[in-house]
Amino acid sequence: MDLTNEKIIEMYRTMKRIREFETNASRLFAEGSIPGFVHLYLGEEAVATGVCSSMNEDDYITSTHRGHGHIIAKGGESKYMMAELFGKETGYCKGKGGSMHIADATKGILGANGIVGAGHNIAVGAGLSAKYRESGQVVACFFGDGSTNQGTFHESINLASIWKLPVVFVCENNLYGISMSQARHQAIQDVADRAVAYNIPGIVVDGNDIFAVYEAATEAVARARSGQGPTLIECKTYRHKGHFEGDPTTYRPSDEVQEWMAKDPLPRAVAYLMDNEILTEEELKKIDEEIVKEIEDAIKFAEDSPVPSLESIVQDIYTDIVEEVR
Amino acid sequence: MSTIGIIANPASGKDIRRLVSHATVVDNNEKVNIVKRIILAAQGAGVTGVMVMPDTFLIGYKAQEDLKGSRELNIPIEILDMRVKGSVEDTILAAKLMEEKGVQCIIALGGDGTSRAVAKSITVTPLISISTGTNNVYPEMLEGTVAGIAAAAVSTRTSNLGQSCRRDKRIEIYKGGKMLDIALVDCVISKQTYIGSRAIWNPEDIQRVIVSRANPASIGFSTIVGVKKIVGEDDNFGASINVNTGENELVAPIAAGTMKEIRVDEPVIHPLEEMFSMTMDYKGIMALDGERELPFKKGETYHFKISRDGPYRVNIKRTIESAQINGFFNR
Repeated sequence: MDLTNEKIIEMYRTMKRIREFETNASRLFAEGSIPGFVHLYLGEEAVATGVCSSMNEDDYITSTHRGHGHIIAKGGESKYMMAELFGKETGYCKGKGGSMHIADATKGILGANGIVGAGHNIAVGAGLSAKYRESGQVVACFFGDGSTNQGTFHESINLASIWKLPVVFVCENNLYGISMSQARHQAIQDVADRAVAYNIPGIVVDGNDIFAVYEAATEAVARARSGQGPTLIECKTYRHKGHFEGDPTTYRPSDEVQEWMAKDPLPRAVAYLMDNEILTEEELKKIDEEIVKEIEDAIKFAEDSPVPSLESIVQDIYTDIVEEVR
Repeated sequence: MSTIGIIANPASGKDIRRLVSHATVVDNNEKVNIVKRIILAAQGAGVTGVMVMPDTFLIGYKAQEDLKGSRELNIPIEILDMRVKGSVEDTILAAKLMEEKGVQCIIALGGDGTSRAVAKSITVTPLISISTGTNNVYPEMLEGTVAGIAAAAVSTRTSNLGQSCRRDKRIEIYKGGKMLDIALVDCVISKQTYIGSRAIWNPEDIQRVIVSRANPASIGFSTIVGVKKIVGEDDNFGASINVNTGENELVAPIAAGTMKEIRVDEPVIHPLEEMFSMTMDYKGIMALDGERELPFKKGETYHFKISRDGPYRVNIKRTIESAQINGFFNR
């Protein structure tokens, strides 16, 4: 599989952008600048980046409660995302959705989703739409291991398989559904095993290896685009932080955490860039500094933005058919 | 006292080749079933103890619990006391521990990669490889019951070991006088620059294939040699072939359900123990038994040797026939 150095550098930029965004979101949440809940994508950067890098701009994604990484990887703009986290009027949802509802239809981002397992149905709907319109678009459906016990997972994959819809199901298996380890809620270890029940390919990849994810996603996207139907890719990964910010994570053994921290996708990507002389240390430093600046600017944008007006509380809730409630 | 070891790789049979080819899917619950059949057959045939590698899916524990629950288990099962890393290192360590503890036969469930990992550790213990992996040149498609009987025949010394086991060949890879790694079946020199999803399936990327054995009646990159020159398990030589160059147009089954037309040079024969070298004119990766493993850089020189220092492999049919002649099945 050909991967140009430019593409590899761009993928690194995306991973670094997610890392920087999330690191700052963690700090800002702890400081009390961000209301509501945030579920951070730290540690899982290679999954969203590898998958979205294999897609076209007009392809779709559906996301989860842990959606910041997916949205950044699909082209979401940091400043509008940060403003949304701050609950500001300039945010993606005008400050009324928060972390778990960010969407940007112009970039094919069909929304983060606060309900576990609710993205599957939307992905299949988008896939049906793409097939019906013969648009050639593909949908990547991100979800966690916990959601694969939901009926929506099974119903969606079943329909996508029967109708050969262009959907790539991407399971981010970070070993825990909230605080429940996978071994305690599933009789299987590999969610990919479930693919065989729906007559679609199911594979397991190292979700902390950007190249492994990119290779698998590229093959699955090509398969979907050529009308051969859905694929289930299970990415084994790990969240560096708790289920939500503030989660003390007492349920995770410390040696497990240490083992997974050693598999951090960012240093692995940096090692590849250095070993293969794709970037010099100076060039890498320059990229990192640019991204730090970009996120600083996003935070400043969010801080300087106004909160939504009181009148807006009843706007964008219903369609115009209920104008009278205003 | 006759003890056998079981190593079941929970990660085998799930890689990207299910997507890029039509490779077999073996789920982990079926691996538990196979392990149960091995244990019951071995127990019924006289084995007095079983050691099992611990793994992330708890295959050994699940088999033990099920067999205890059904009141079929009469012999002790020891799950090795080792820290599970969830990587190939588990297989390498478990094989080492089993040999140190003196098991008389090891049964490995997995693909070529799993057998290779076992082969890195063991020196004298006979090996039975059951295919639950992908390309499966080395392991056999084998019913667990039959594997358990064969392991029992080996471990109780009922079968003539000289007749039933043969030491296999392997490919040894050296750099700067130090052996870096081994492959049991094939070493593919690829222009891929990253390990990524590990599996290798694209013939356009490869430059050379080195084999210890090659037969067109199998699948994988070793068949690129095999469709031109058969290299038998008993032959005292290996071979290599340059790919995407030369005058010979061939078609080879490089993956499950994948026949590819490939241009190759004439194969080169490499007698056992004869060192040959290759200086790389690009950066890339060596894939060992189907998995990208060893990155190399332009200008580096590597040496290769085919030796007969691979594992002692149990010939299932010969073993069980020999056992039958020696009254193994008489009660």
